[in-house]
Amino acid sequence: MAENGELWGAGEAELDPVEYTLRKRLPHRLPRRPNDIYVNMKTDFKAQLARCQKLLEGGGGGRGQGGCPEIYIHGLGLAINRAINIALQLQAGSFGALQVAANTSTVELVDELEPENNNREPLTRTRNNSAIHIRVFRVTPK
Amino acid sequence: MSNAREKKHAKKMRNQPANVTLSSGFTAVDERGTKHHNGNEKSFQYQKQESCSGTPQHQQPKLTHVPSESCANEQPSKGQCKGEKGKGQAGWRGGHQGAAREIPKYITASTFAQARAAEINAMLKAVTQKSSNSLVFQTLPRHMRRRAMSHNVKRLPRRLREIAQKEAEKTEHHKKEYSKNKCRKARRCHLNLLLEFNRRQKKNVWLETHIWHAKRFHMVKKWGYCLGESPTIKSYRASYRAMTKHCLLQDLSYYCCLELNGKEEEILKALSRMCSIDTGLTFAAVHCLSGKRQGSLVLYRADKYPEEMLGPITFIWKPEDGTSTTPINRKLWLWTHPTLKQDILTELKIVCQCVQPPEATAFIPEVALTSHEEKIHIKQTENCKKRKRDDEEKNTNPVKKIVGDGTRNPFQPYSWTSSATGIVVSDLTMEMNRYRLIGPLSHSILTEALKTASVYTEVEDAETVLHSWWVETCKKPDSVSVHHRQEAIFELLGGIASPAEIPAGTILGLTVGDPRINLPQKKSKALLNIEKFQDNEKVRQLRLEGVPVECAHSFIWDQDICKSVTENKISEKELNQMRSELMVPGSQLNLGHRESKIPILLIQQPGKVTGEDRLGWGSGWDILLPKGWGMAFWIPFIYRGARVGGLKEGRIHSRYKGAPSIPDDFPDCPAGMLFAIEQENNLLEKYKRHPPAKRPNYVKHGTLSPFRCPWEQLTQDWESRITAQTESPISPHSSANGKSDSGRKKLCVVESEQEQKHETLKDKPEEAAEMMDTHSPDAAVTVDLKETGVCGNECGGTRAPFCVLRSRKLLKWLAAWCLPVGRRNQAAFRASRMHQPELTKATCLSILHEYPRFLVWVSLSLLKKGNPELHTMICIPSKDDFLHLNEDRLYCGPQESRHNDPFKAKARKQKEKRKTEKQQKPEGGVAPGPAGELHCTRACAEGAPGLWPGPLPDVTGHCSRTLLGFVTQGDFSLAAGCGEALGFVSLTGLLEMLSSQPADQRGLVLLRTPASLQYRFARIIIDI
Repeated sequence: MAENGELWGAGEAELDPVEYTLRKRLPHRLPRRPNDIYVNMKTDFKAQLARCQKLLEGGGGGRGQGGCPEIYIHGLGLAINRAINIALQLQAGSFGALQVAANTSTVELVDELEPENNNREPLTRTRNNSAIHIRVFRVTPK
Repeated sequence: MSNAREKKHAKKMRNQPANVTLSSGFTAVDERGTKHHNGNEKSFQYQKQESCSGTPQHQQPKLTHVPSESCANEQPSKGQCKGEKGKGQAGWRGGHQGAAREIPKYITASTFAQARAAEINAMLKAVTQKSSNSLVFQTLPRHMRRRAMSHNVKRLPRRLREIAQKEAEKTEHHKKEYSKNKCRKARRCHLNLLLEFNRRQKKNVWLETHIWHAKRFHMVKKWGYCLGESPTIKSYRASYRAMTKHCLLQDLSYYCCLELNGKEEEILKALSRMCSIDTGLTFAAVHCLSGKRQGSLVLYRADKYPEEMLGPITFIWKPEDGTSTTPINRKLWLWTHPTLKQDILTELKIVCQCVQPPEATAFIPEVALTSHEEKIHIKQTENCKKRKRDDEEKNTNPVKKIVGDGTRNPFQPYSWTSSATGIVVSDLTMEMNRYRLIGPLSHSILTEALKTASVYTEVEDAETVLHSWWVETCKKPDSVSVHHRQEAIFELLGGIASPAEIPAGTILGLTVGDPRINLPQKKSKALLNIEKFQDNEKVRQLRLEGVPVECAHSFIWDQDICKSVTENKISEKELNQMRSELMVPGSQLNLGHRESKIPILLIQQPGKVTGEDRLGWGSGWDILLPKGWGMAFWIPFIYRGARVGGLKEGRIHSRYKGAPSIPDDFPDCPAGMLFAIEQENNLLEKYKRHPPAKRPNYVKHGTLSPFRCPWEQLTQDWESRITAQTESPISPHSSANGKSDSGRKKLCVVESEQEQKHETLKDKPEEAAEMMDTHSPDAAVTVDLKETGVCGNECGGTRAPFCVLRSRKLLKWLAAWCLPVGRRNQAAFRASRMHQPELTKATCLSILHEYPRFLVWVSLSLLKKGNPELHTMICIPSKDDFLHLNEDRLYCGPQESRHNDPFKAKARKQKEKRKTEKQQKPEGGVAPGPAGELHCTRACAEGAPGLWPGPLPDVTGHCSRTLLGFVTQGDFSLAAGCGEALGFVSLTGLLEMLSSQPADQRGLVLLRTPASLQYRFARIIIDI
C-alpha cells in the first residue's frame, strides 16, 4: 500500500473547504501476488528491505525453498524514492546476482468531497500520481 | 477442651435424637452412674445384638462411628458383640471397669425396658439418618468407587444399595418434570423440539441463526435478544485478520428498523426538529434523499439540540419511482440499536403527531395482515398437534416456526398513524435480517454466494404461481432492464479489491436466486479472482459515482412481496429430498422456475473514513434479507470462507475504526447512562469477589471511581476550576473588563445554583446503587430505570448535566489545535482557508461560554509503552514531564506517588473499637454510639476497603496531574501496533490544556490505568 504523500494541487481552488470535507480514498488495487511488495513511508526502511531479501532468498518461509526468482516492488508518490532505494540496496548487496528493471506508470486516485450542506451532492475528484514498479530478478552469474 | 474439639463434638451431636444424650468421655460420668443403677445389661445386651443384626449390615460403620464411644462407656459388654472395634478400645474400657463393678441390687423391669426401647428406637433412627450431606457412594473409600456409580445402583456394594436407591429416588424428585413426561426420542422429535424452542424464545428473542450460534458461541441475553458474544474457539487475532485481509461475518438482525411512510415534506419537516445541521448532514441531504446512499446521524429530543441526545441511527430513503411525477408517499427506514429504539420511537411518534394507534384492521391492511399472521403463528405453536391434522386436510404448509419477533404481542400495535401529517410510523423489528460482511474479500464472497435471479421469458405454468410478483415484474420491460443493470453492477463488484473503493453508503438493490442451490460441496475459500479484474470505464464509473439511483431499487421495500417470499421458501427438507433424487449425486440442483427469487438490499459500510491512518479499514457490505431466509444465506457465506464474529468482534471493529460503539460510548443518552450503571455493578461485583489482599486498593492508587466515569462531576469541577482561575487574575483589572466579569459572576451564581441541583441529582444514582445491593438484580434494574427516568425529566426542566460535543465546526477547530506545530503546516494551510481562528484566550472563553460542560470524543495513541484499558484516566502533563521527555528518549512517564488510605486506618480503628466494646459489653452492656455505627455500616455498604466511600472530592485535582477525562475503550491495537484508546475529555479542560502547552508539544497527554501508578504519554487526536 502506498502512501499518498501528495500535496494539495492547484486545481481545487474553486472548492470551498467550509462546504466540503475531503476524504481520500485508497488507490485502486489489483489482487496481490505473493511476490508483490508495496512500499510505504510508515514502516521502517530496514524492515521493508529485509522483507524483500527474505522473499528473494526464501530462507524464512516454510514452502519457498529457493525463494522467488523475481519480485515486484511498487511505490506510489512519496514512496517512489524509497522503492528505488530498496531496489538499489538489494542489487548492491547481491554481488551482481540481482538485476533491476523499472517501469513507471500513472495511478489515478480518487478523492471524495463530502458536502457539509444538505443541498449539495457529494463530489469525487480524480487526480493522478506517479508510481514505480521495479522488477528485481535473479540472473545467473557468468 | 480446645475449640476445634468442641466444634467436632457439636457436629457429632447435631444429628442425634433429643432423647438420647450421648456423651464423650469425661462429661458422661454421672450420667453413666444413673444408668448403671437400673441396668441389667446382660439381659438387654442380647436384644441389642439382635437389633444390630436385624438392621442391614451397611449401617454398621456408622453405628460404630457415632455412638460407639458412649456405648462402650455405658455397656462394657457391648464391645464384644462388635468384635474388632471393641477390642480396639479394650484398654480404654478397662479404665472404667471399676465403675461398672457395682451392680445394682434390683431393677424394675417395665421402666427399664421402656427406657431401653426408647434408646433403641433413637439409635435406629440415628442409624438410618445420614449424618453428613454426602451421597452414599461418596462415603466409600476411593478404591471401592466405580465409574457412573451415581447412575447405576448396581455398581455399589450390595449393602449400600438400598440407601443409594433411596437417595436416587430423592434426587429424581428434584429433577425437572418435563423429562419424565416424554422420552428422549419424543422430546427430540421435530415438532416438540420446535415447541420447546418457541417456548424458550418467549422472553429473549432468538435470531434466525441462533441455533448455529449457540453451538459455537458464548451466548448472552442482552437487550431482549439472545446474542453471540464471541466464539468459543480462540479467535481474537484471527478475527482481526479476517477484518483486515479476509472477511468477517456478523449477524446484526437484532438491529431495529423503524419505517416512516408519508409525504416527503412532512417527514422532513417533522424530523428536522430531531436533528441539527451542526452535527453534519441530515435527512434532507440530496444524495440520501434520492435513495442512492445511506446516511447516518445523531437524533436528539425534539428542539433540544445539543442536549438530550437520543442515539445514533442510520437511515435509507426508498428511491423514488421514476415513472410517476406526482408527489407520492415516500418511505424512510431508520436503523437503530435495540437499546435506543424505545426512546426514538416515542419521540418519533411525538414529532409526527401520531398519538393514537390506528385501528389495526382499518388503516393499513398490510400491517394488519401481518399481525393476523403473527396470531396464527402463535396459535399454531400452541396446539401444534391439532393443527397438524387440520393442515393435512387443508393441504397447506404448516408454519410452526416463529419467524420474526416471537415476543411481540399480536394485539399490541406496531404501527401508528397521524391524522395531522399523514405519516405512518411502523416498527419493523425482526421483519428483516441484516448481516454485515467486513473486509476486502466480502466482494468475492458476495459474488460467489449470490446469483442474480433468472428472468422469466415466456412461460407461465403452475410452478410460477408462487412467485407471481416476479412474473409480474418480468412482464415489465423497465423492471427487467433495471434488473439487468443491477446484475451487471453486481458482477463488476467481483473485480474490485476492496469495498472501500466504492463511495460510502452506496446502496445496491438486487433480486437473487436461492443461494442454497449452488452451495459448494465443501467449505471453500473465496479468493479474489484476477480474471474478473478489468480496468475499464464501467469500473471507473462505479468507483467514482457509485451505483445509479435506479439500481438502488429493491423489492424488499414492498412488504407484500417480502411476505410471499418468506412464505414460499422451499424448506431445507424438501431441498435435500430433491437433492437426493438427482440422477447424478452431487451435481447441481436445477429447480427451474420453482426456484425462489429473493429481494435483497446491499449497503456499503465505509469503514474508517476519518483521520489519516488506515483509511478504509473495516469497510464492507451490509445485506438486508426478508425474514425467514436467514440461514439460507448464512451457510453459503460461511461456505465461502467468511469467519463469524460476535458482539465482542463488533466492539473491536468499532474501536479500530475509531467509532463510538453503541450504547457504551454515548454517555449522554438514556441507554448509555443505563449501561454505565450496569457496568459499574458488574465490575464492583467482580471486584468484591476478590479478597482485599488480592485486589488493588484504588484509594491508594488515587483512583476515585475505577468502575464508572463521573462525567457530571468532571465537567462541573472543570467549570468551577476555570471560573476560579479567571476570577483571581481578572479581579484586579475589573475596571478594564468589568462588564464581562460581572457577567461571568452572574454566570457563576447561576452555575453554583445548578451545581447544587446537580448534586441532589447526583445523589440519586448512588441511592440507586445502594438499593441495588439489597434488592434482587431485576428489581434493581427497574429501580434504576425509574431513577434515570426521573433524572432525565428533571434535567429537562433545567439543563442537562453534560453533553457531548458534536458540532462539526468546533470539532474541526479542535482537531487542528490538537496537532503540534510541526505537523500542522498542512493543517494550518487548510485552517487558514477555513477562516479558523487561532487558539487564544479570547476564543477559548467565547467557546466555553457557548459550550459549558461539554465532553469531546477523542482518540489517543500511546507514544511508547502502555496498554490502556477501561476507565483509564487522561491527565494533563506538567512542565517537568515535558522537560524529561525532551531530555530522555526512553522516558516513559512520571509516577504518581502512592496515596494513603485514611479509610483503612479508620476502619481498623473502628474494628478495634468494636472489639473493645464487645469485651466491655458483658460487663457494662453499653451500646455503641449511633454515629460510629452509622459510619461503619456506610463503609460496609460501600463495599469495602480499597474503594472511595461516600461522595467523591474534586476529581480533577485529586492526583498530582490534573484529570482531563476517561477512556471508554482501550487496548493494544493490532492495527496500529501500539496501545490505542478512545474516550471523552472535558472541553473546558482540553482548551485550558491546549492553550497552556508549548506549541510544539500540543496534544500530548498522560494516561494512567486505574490500578497503576505509572503515567504514560499519549497523543490526543480528534478525528473528524
